[in-house]
Amino acid sequence: MSKRVNRIDELSKDIPPSRDLWPAIAAAIADQVSADLSMKAVPGRRRVGWWSAAGLAASLALVSIGVLIGRQFGQPAQPVANTTIPARDPALLPASMQRDAEYRKQREELVVQVNAKLAAMPPAERAKVAASLATLRKSIQDIEAALGHDPANALLQELLVTSCQEEMRALTTVRDSGHQEI
Amino acid sequence: MSDAAIRSLRVLCVLGAMPLAALANENTIDRTVAADARGEVVISNVSGNVDVRGWDRNEVQVKGRLDEDVERVDVDTSGGRTTIKVILPKGSHDGGDAMLEIQVPRGSSVEVSAVSADVTSRGVQGAQRLTTVSGEIIADISGGNDSQVRSVSGDITVKGDSKAGALRVSSVSGSLQLTNGAGKLDVVTVSGDARVHMVDASEINGRTTSGELELHAKLVRDARVSVEGVSGDMNLDLGNTGGLALEIESFSGEITGCLAGDKVQKVSKYGPGVRLNTNIGDAAARVRAKTLSGDIEICDR
Repeated sequence: MSKRVNRIDELSKDIPPSRDLWPAIAAAIADQVSADLSMKAVPGRRRVGWWSAAGLAASLALVSIGVLIGRQFGQPAQPVANTTIPARDPALLPASMQRDAEYRKQREELVVQVNAKLAAMPPAERAKVAASLATLRKSIQDIEAALGHDPANALLQELLVTSCQEEMRALTTVRDSGHQEI
Repeated sequence: MSDAAIRSLRVLCVLGAMPLAALANENTIDRTVAADARGEVVISNVSGNVDVRGWDRNEVQVKGRLDEDVERVDVDTSGGRTTIKVILPKGSHDGGDAMLEIQVPRGSSVEVSAVSADVTSRGVQGAQRLTTVSGEIIADISGGNDSQVRSVSGDITVKGDSKAGALRVSSVSGSLQLTNGAGKLDVVTVSGDARVHMVDASEINGRTTSGELELHAKLVRDARVSVEGVSGDMNLDLGNTGGLALEIESFSGEITGCLAGDKVQKVSKYGPGVRLNTNIGDAAARVRAKTLSGDIEICDR
């Protein structure tokens, strides 16, 4: 009896195909080649050729997007408190990784306020806090880089969300520090 | 007497007079006001220290030494709430030191806000909310309350009384140490290490980014433990007579320890990641631990 699955990440990721798929794929390719050859002989079927070219172009575009995403996520880390999230074309990111524009705006505003707070801190404390914020930022970039290679990984998605939340909490803590009034 | 000896004598006289000169520039405070046995005491200080002690009188007593940069200390009480606030001159950025010793009724709830001042608290049985930016916090926290201890870069040391309560401890870059805690705990650190010892823990939520998390806890039967890290290692030592349901996963780290053994599985045949999903005994307590690249060691010794 099959085990009941409650969550997506419980599904097996390694289910082998029940049969060898290659012969059917090879046959389909052979059919397509012969169809293309026959198309040249039959002008009325040119529309099919146009769609094939469009499909090829779309495939290339998808591969390019994949490469771009990989390169974006693979970029080296930068100091946290002095940077904002690198601007990426949201259209290039999988929906699960797109971060809300409002979130980005709030974060950027927070970073400006935190930088002002850091500037007012004694140098030793400033260095310590800035290093922690940089650690948070680096950890988010590490998770994003890993997600670039494994976008469907539920663990990484969860860690990304909680790390972004944690960064906002830490930035807010630093911004509000020393302002607790009676 | 030679010239050198006279010069040495002069230097000694000047050095000897310096502490007196320093004292002359210091003010003191010594005020006592009536307070409720279970009232609220709210304290704010910038620099120096705040030493809070619970006592058996229904009074709040404030004693201390103030730098010349401190304008005054306001002590007000009204409607069961006593406020103690260190006032600096307007435009002051240096933050003169105020060294305060404050006695409060033992049942008071206490709130302390400080910037670089160190904070200590002993013998207070009410809820406590202690916050610093860079100051160190050392506190005894009583159970039966909802307490919170936070710092940005200061280290935190908290000792519980083995009675169940709710406690939140967090720091950005400071290290955390909790002993004798019980009940519910939230512990968060970014780069500082966290070492936690709990008895009769019912719920533990932990989060670290790059710091190490060491958690030793005796769990109540149906406890819930959830810890998460990014690159920091975790050492979990969890005991429960009702057994444990483990859900542990690391993307690129290792899972080891006496509960791991050969039960650790690869998440995918072709990619990184290991997980340990297993039940021990009745699996009454649920333990969830996740990390990106940190190692997780799990035992039930």
